[in-house]
Amino acid sequence: MSKDYDHLFKLLIIGDSGVGKSSLLLRFADDTFSGNYITTIGVDFKIKTLEVDGQKIKLQIWDTAGQERFRTITATYYRGTHGVIVVYDVSNGDTFANVKRWLHEIDQNCEDVCRILVGNKNDDPNLKVVLTQDAQRFADQMGIELYETSAKENVNVEEMFMAITRMVLRSKKEKEQRQQQSQDNAIRLQKGSAHKGKKNKCC
Amino acid sequence: MSFLIVYIFTMDQHSINSLVNNFILPGHKNVQSISVGLFQECVITKRILTLVEYQQNYGLLVINRCDNSIEKSKQLTVDFVLPIDDRFKCEFGSSGINTGAGENIIAKIIHGKDKFIVELKYTENNRHFFTEVNKAQDVFLCKTNSSFDWLYRSYDCAAPSNLDERLSSNIAQKPYIKEEMNSSTKNTKNNNEFTSSSETLNTLLSNHPNTGITLSTSTAHGKESDRNGSGKIGKSSFYVNEIESPDDLSNIPRDIVAMGGASLAARETNIRLKMAMLEDQFMELKSFNLFIGSWNVNGQNCSVSLGENWLACDPSPPDIYAIGFQELDLSKEAFVFNDSTREEEWLQACTLSLHPGAIYVKVKLVRLIGMMLIVFVKRELEEHISNVAAETVGTGILGKMGNKGGVAIRFDFYNTSMCFVNSHLAAHVEEYERRNQDYNDICNRMIFSQFKPPKYIKDHDQVYWFGDLNYRLMDLNRDQVKRMLEEKAFDELLKHDQLRDQWRLKRIFHNFKEGPIKHPPTYKYDPGTDNWDSSEKNRPPAWCDRCLWRGDSIALLDYRSHARLKLSDHKPISALFESSVKVKNPTKFRKVYEEVMKKMDKIENEFLPQVSVDQSEINFGRVTFRESVQRYLSIANTGQVPVRFEFIQKPNEVRFCKPWLQIQPYESTIKPGDKLDVELKVYVDIESAQKLNSGLEEIYDILVLHLDGGKDLFIEIKGSYKPSSFGSSIETLVRLKIPIDEMPANEYHELQQKGEFSSAPVSWGIPKEIWLLVDHLFKYGLMQEDLFQQPGLDTHFQTIREGLDKGSLEGFTASIHSVAEALLIFLEALAEPLIPHSLYSRALENYHNFIACKQVINEMRDTHRRVFYYLISFMRELLRHSKYNNLDNKMLASIFGDIILRAPQQAQPNQKGNHQNNIQEIEKKKAGFIHHFLVNDFDP
Repeated sequence: MSKDYDHLFKLLIIGDSGVGKSSLLLRFADDTFSGNYITTIGVDFKIKTLEVDGQKIKLQIWDTAGQERFRTITATYYRGTHGVIVVYDVSNGDTFANVKRWLHEIDQNCEDVCRILVGNKNDDPNLKVVLTQDAQRFADQMGIELYETSAKENVNVEEMFMAITRMVLRSKKEKEQRQQQSQDNAIRLQKGSAHKGKKNKCC
Repeated sequence: MSFLIVYIFTMDQHSINSLVNNFILPGHKNVQSISVGLFQECVITKRILTLVEYQQNYGLLVINRCDNSIEKSKQLTVDFVLPIDDRFKCEFGSSGINTGAGENIIAKIIHGKDKFIVELKYTENNRHFFTEVNKAQDVFLCKTNSSFDWLYRSYDCAAPSNLDERLSSNIAQKPYIKEEMNSSTKNTKNNNEFTSSSETLNTLLSNHPNTGITLSTSTAHGKESDRNGSGKIGKSSFYVNEIESPDDLSNIPRDIVAMGGASLAARETNIRLKMAMLEDQFMELKSFNLFIGSWNVNGQNCSVSLGENWLACDPSPPDIYAIGFQELDLSKEAFVFNDSTREEEWLQACTLSLHPGAIYVKVKLVRLIGMMLIVFVKRELEEHISNVAAETVGTGILGKMGNKGGVAIRFDFYNTSMCFVNSHLAAHVEEYERRNQDYNDICNRMIFSQFKPPKYIKDHDQVYWFGDLNYRLMDLNRDQVKRMLEEKAFDELLKHDQLRDQWRLKRIFHNFKEGPIKHPPTYKYDPGTDNWDSSEKNRPPAWCDRCLWRGDSIALLDYRSHARLKLSDHKPISALFESSVKVKNPTKFRKVYEEVMKKMDKIENEFLPQVSVDQSEINFGRVTFRESVQRYLSIANTGQVPVRFEFIQKPNEVRFCKPWLQIQPYESTIKPGDKLDVELKVYVDIESAQKLNSGLEEIYDILVLHLDGGKDLFIEIKGSYKPSSFGSSIETLVRLKIPIDEMPANEYHELQQKGEFSSAPVSWGIPKEIWLLVDHLFKYGLMQEDLFQQPGLDTHFQTIREGLDKGSLEGFTASIHSVAEALLIFLEALAEPLIPHSLYSRALENYHNFIACKQVINEMRDTHRRVFYYLISFMRELLRHSKYNNLDNKMLASIFGDIILRAPQQAQPNQKGNHQNNIQEIEKKKAGFIHHFLVNDFDP
């Protein structure tokens, strides 16, 4: 039986409580939205299968509790993650201010992971307080892509998930290439030394 | 994280047969029964497939079997009843969908609009089953008076009550009225049926051996009381919907999955099957022209061009050519060695004579002695041809040799399977039975065995059968025939055609069609002329050379003979078809595929374990020393599958919860729809009390409730610890000016943390609490029998603790034993042991030396030393009354030694080997240390 996917990637959604992490996941995985706010107390995940460049990719997307008091526990879920989605609420400046801390959290818990910055709730210009250019400037500074989304209006959600998936896929490919290269180099080196050895013997 | 792929066919053939034999009605024959997996939506459930026979009529039963019932035959209920008639079809996979993956194969069983899919092991036994089904089909085709009344009556439980009526009125012309019945009942009865079916299923499956769940079984037995199969399963819920929206997941038999009675099919299988069922949504028909040619060349060399007179006679080039020859080579070499130079010669001739309007490539050539078949296709279409195979069957001398028989080529063109058969059947007017036999032999023996399961001619969407079939005109003599031919009375003549006659009698070419014949007979001519045979034999003319077809969407454009080719005593014929084949529309395919994937994701997500808890924060309120407080957490399985949960350890912690918390059970399994109450108990013991009293720890914890294969929930535990004199330090207690209960928590914490370095002045010589307890014992307990040896009561202890923390023991009721125990607990709970940790080792080392022991005491802080001598003098007082209280110095030394001398955490013995010895040794030393002070005179 052939495997039902070519790649399995684990994505993690982090960010302050109430920025819409679960809503983004629900929108992406089930294409639904619920206006009722239910705090995630724990970590949940959903799966979603995508096809990117003809390759079947199975995503396991983890949605974490954003509350400060769960921070030490949620940190353990970073392990084995391929991509992290850092979410803030464009209508809440504090959540944007905290992005730095979340990024720091990533640095502390993962090495070599793809990141994407997401300003969610981008559906009411009147409520928007985190301006796109400010967020963009920050994102550029941190070397991270920015997406402004609305899980409610289904704006940019699919695009954002596709973007991080592509990123992860690219990074995996690059890593494989590097590995292949270093292997080739190692072989070349071995061959070289073997050759040398022979020569020495002759002498 | 993939779907469950636990799918086992467990029953052996013998037990299946005996079960089914008990189940079917007397007189009905269980031809064969096999175990299969029935695919419903995304779930595979175990079923028995039975081929049942009654008076040469066959039907297929899909039987649901449940274990654990009392009477065997009642375990079985019928899901489907299908008559094996000409609307019955069994396909192994669908074109374009690879069904051969893995060791299981997939069969699509179709009757009219009803279809279902089963998965089965590819075994000899199962292959045999489908051979039997094939035979049953052949039997039907040869029968004129078929009836399936018995089948529906006996097994079709979903049939409406007016079945008899309908059967009697319709059966004669139309023995297959089931589909209409279904559609008429679906709407009106759906609700009822669905309820009853799910009830029954629920009940039946409740006894599934894997789960061991027992629910009420009354419904099932009530319904199954009638042996004639009225254990009713609403069949509407089983049939696969042709059109499904990706959001419609209502057909999944969740209850079965929930009970462990079925497993979710492997995702890949699911997708494959779903795509097969939805084929109509992404397959489009595209038509192509096929040129079929056939010629008995009578062993002649090819000396003329075959082009404009035969193969290229039409204005536009066909897309596919299938050209059959008979008597290509009559030489002995060809017969004996099947080796012929003619093959290349005629291939060349054909290749050169194909329509000049297109470029063709050869797909395949197959030859058996004189029978040769070549298929060509336009070069640009070659890529759409796949799974090409060729086979030959000889039916000549001994029924085997290749002088007669057939050759065939099959392939898939886009997503339609095609089979071309070129045959040369037995000769002579009177040998029509022999020809029939040849035809049937070819059908049965033409097996493309590289496929799994092997493919027969009939397994193809389109079959083109042509050649020198040798059927003649009967009941007419040569002259009659010739006269009628002169009158061009072809239709009249064809009434005497053996082929058409045998076809009408259902002896041959079931479901095949032939076009109207407008051309003169193709046999027998004087070679080189258009004259009828003038040889000695003087054969009467006949339409020996024919072309028939079977399959949908095939239109005959032309059917003719080609008189200008005069080499042979036969004229070549050709038939031009416009045939439609299924072509995958990539855009539509993509769309359907994506929807299927979406649906799969949705199902997979839905089948993840899910629970809800009644609270995510549990507050224990104020808790205190040695008082247990319980709370309950209710975990409800709100998902579709059984959930195994476990409270798991957090990072940097040794256990899944704090030491003062107990969880019961901390792991378990909950079935869907069920609830489980988990008891959480806070109990602050001595060790925890010391930490909580310092304020460095609090009653707070986060539990991680992990669902196996699913999410984690966090449960917050909250509460506040009421500081107590128990678990305080002597240094704190002697500085307490007011009772601990009246003390603000932060002040108390500060005292407790700073201890002897606190700026607060010492207010008491010894802790008041110790004095209160000892004084009480002194007043009421000196003469008490077995003092310190009887356990106290928990309730008494709480009263004593409350009293002490309030600063008074007045007016309390507690037994003297409870007070004695409270004293011991108090001493044991002291945040710093009476003999401080720093002096612990020295005390033990010098236990045999009284002077050294006294030295240790002298080095203690005043507060501790005062308490020590206070207790010693109390003990000595007790010993003076040993006559009454039964205490002796050894016993007291042992009791108090163990609590006055407590090892620092890290120094506790932990070597497993002589652990027990060590403990005894240490206890001996502790007792020894105290003992000195009880028996020797000394100056405090």
